[in-house]
Amino acid sequence: MADVTSTPDDSHRSSSPPPQETAAAAGGSQHVEQLRKMLFRRMLVGVNDGRYFLGLFHCVDKQGNILLQDAVEYRSARHSSPSPTEQRSLGLILIPAACRSSCHVDCSVEGSMSLLSL
Amino acid sequence: METSSSSSAPPPPPHSIPASGVWEDASPLLAAACRDLQDGELVHGENFSLFGAMSALEIMDPKMDSGIEKSGYYSIEEAIEDGIAPVPLSLDRTIDVQRTLDVMDHLFSCEATWHKGHTLAQTVFTCIYLMRMERTSSHAILNSFCRILRATCYAVVSVVSTARTHEEEDLFTMSFGLPLRDEGDEKCLSILNSVEETISRQLRACKAQALSKKKTLEGLESLQDNPDLEEDYCRALLCRLRFRKHFYHVVTCLRKPHGKGLELARKHVASCLTELSLMLKSRDFLKSQSNHTLQQDDEICTTASGVRPVGFDASLNSRLLSPAPPRAVKILSWSDAIRYFEKLLCDLDIICSSPLDPVLENVLHFVVQFQKSVPDLVPRAFLQTLLVQDGKLYGRDLSCDVISRALSLPDIIGDKEFQMNEFVVQLGQLVINLLKILCTNTAWQRRKLGKSLQDWSTISIQLELALKREFGETRNVLPHENMCMRVSKQLLVWTQEHTYWVAYRFLILGFELDLYSPSEYCMVYWYMYVVLMKLIEQMQLRILASNENSRRKGKKKKDHSKDSSRDMAFPSSCLLLQCYVLLSEGLSMMLAALRIKSNLFQLPSIFNSEQERFIQHFDLLQKARLPEHITYYSFRESASHATIADLMKYNFFKEIHKITPSLRGSFASEPEKLAEIRQIEQVAEHNRIALNIISQVRAGDPSLRVSFEFTHHPHFAVAVVKRS
Repeated sequence: MADVTSTPDDSHRSSSPPPQETAAAAGGSQHVEQLRKMLFRRMLVGVNDGRYFLGLFHCVDKQGNILLQDAVEYRSARHSSPSPTEQRSLGLILIPAACRSSCHVDCSVEGSMSLLSL
Repeated sequence: METSSSSSAPPPPPHSIPASGVWEDASPLLAAACRDLQDGELVHGENFSLFGAMSALEIMDPKMDSGIEKSGYYSIEEAIEDGIAPVPLSLDRTIDVQRTLDVMDHLFSCEATWHKGHTLAQTVFTCIYLMRMERTSSHAILNSFCRILRATCYAVVSVVSTARTHEEEDLFTMSFGLPLRDEGDEKCLSILNSVEETISRQLRACKAQALSKKKTLEGLESLQDNPDLEEDYCRALLCRLRFRKHFYHVVTCLRKPHGKGLELARKHVASCLTELSLMLKSRDFLKSQSNHTLQQDDEICTTASGVRPVGFDASLNSRLLSPAPPRAVKILSWSDAIRYFEKLLCDLDIICSSPLDPVLENVLHFVVQFQKSVPDLVPRAFLQTLLVQDGKLYGRDLSCDVISRALSLPDIIGDKEFQMNEFVVQLGQLVINLLKILCTNTAWQRRKLGKSLQDWSTISIQLELALKREFGETRNVLPHENMCMRVSKQLLVWTQEHTYWVAYRFLILGFELDLYSPSEYCMVYWYMYVVLMKLIEQMQLRILASNENSRRKGKKKKDHSKDSSRDMAFPSSCLLLQCYVLLSEGLSMMLAALRIKSNLFQLPSIFNSEQERFIQHFDLLQKARLPEHITYYSFRESASHATIADLMKYNFFKEIHKITPSLRGSFASEPEKLAEIRQIEQVAEHNRIALNIISQVRAGDPSLRVSFEFTHHPHFAVAVVKRS
């Protein structure tokens, strides 16, 4: 996990072309299949203005727009952090890729390596 | 698109967000997978539907995401710490009073905006003083004002939610967990009274001082430091506080059961109006004292002084409104708010003037008359809670007694057998529902009336069947038939009369809602004519029967004088309806003749035929078989024979002038009715002249231009003829 995030550009450059070939051949890339396994897991998405949305991963499109189900919004109650967070339920939400600043998935410790490595 | 997450490590999520395991960064995988996806391809589970996904709330969309960061503050506490709602409002005591007045005025504008259909959270409760009332406890004036305002809002919310007239404006009663109620609020009046007492003592002292030219005000705490302004500030504060006090009294008095508080409420309404005019008067002084550079235009400013108030933040509450879209709310200007409250108080005054008449006809008339001024949600809710309490009229008269009174069977009031009769029970329910429906807004009212027609007609069919089953086929009321049969027959006639009354109201509300196009007026007036004929027929039957009753009663009790005066009133109401029959028939025939003669008012639509439109407009009446055997073909048949020549021969509009003089006589003491007759005469006269002109024009002459306008009556059009 750590080495993936430290060299993301390298990993993309090296890993992108082969899956595309397999995608053409098998009708779905390895990454897409991996992402498909994330469906219905709890996903935490941070957006530009500092809010976080926690919901069940429902859908994503090529542009990276994410749909979360049963989403809850978390925001800090004050500008100055650290501070207690406020939350409210929103239901089904769409988070456009443009405003997404982070994206985390809830994993058990042992499952994290196998599921998320590229 | 993905760069922000993949180019640098994203910040770890805050610890306060719970996870069952650990939060692992999924951005790289997401980025890689997105690159591999084909255009238009989605990663989704089996329960996904594109249609359902359409309803997702889009984050960071200014029209959908109410949590989007707009205000500088994340929470009320943060805003308070930053000093946007200081207590006292200023250390300078004069500015403190000025600012307090601004807060009061802005709250007043907010309250009016709320009544007009916005949420409490975006109007009244944008006030931070109101959100954290405990902070104002050291500021007696502001505290007492906010407390009574909050108590009033709570009372109004509970009236509107009891009445359930707010279906269209359902934001009204939503309180989103706002601090709308607090333990101390029952004492709001006594707190306000003591503040008012202090200020009015101060005002008296100012006056006395002005007379005696003394320089000091001994023993009294001055409002602020400039003695020259003291009197005016006292006045400005007093009228605002007193308005709140009287308005609170109005609300509580109107809520008293059985309409017991009406008389007192009326006095408080009058006081409210006085205080409103004093508030308007204080405007010049407040404007002159405020900083001119801060003043806004009269059309938009929400305070009398024209200065933006301190202590408000419109966006702090917006996150409470999930998942509703964060609508932009424009607070009414202070002048508009004054006008709104004037109208509201006038509408409430009409309610207070209710004679609490137990006769259903009069109640219906009262409500219809009340609705003519298009009252807002709040007065309509008050009227409904007055009319219907605990399922009884005024919370006092059982609906079965109301019906027996309408049947002129006073000896049956309280009769257990009559009360238990299943038809009477059902009809009683219908009457109560009808009263509630009549208090709703026009659009909702029409829809509900249309739907209730089915119930009304079902029950009259059932009544008719039961009558036939038990007493055979005879329909005439004979003098010596038994009581039971007589009551059943009258009940049937009464039910049918009200069914047609509802149908007629359903039709005329279509005009108020602009539902009919000029090419459809012909069929609408034709249907109105048919319904009105039936209504008159049932009304006459009822009058016959009630005359019969009173004759019998007269024999027994020698109580002729009272009854005969009431009998006289019935024929005149019949005659008034007769005028409307003639107007409807005349207009319908005139339109039909114009269609034949000059090809005017034909349906130009290629999308639906006339028959389809007929069904669209009258489907609810047709389903309820009102009247029976009436179809589109009956309309087409009667419309196809209309000629201008026939119309001239039997001139419906001329006929009206034969009826109105006697009507004027019988309604001499009712100015409302006289105005109605005047309207009818004007419509008839204008149409008579128009008809004369049309009859002189050759058939098919293209220079003839006819249009219909509602200049003299909201439901009956006047033909305007032009020749080009």
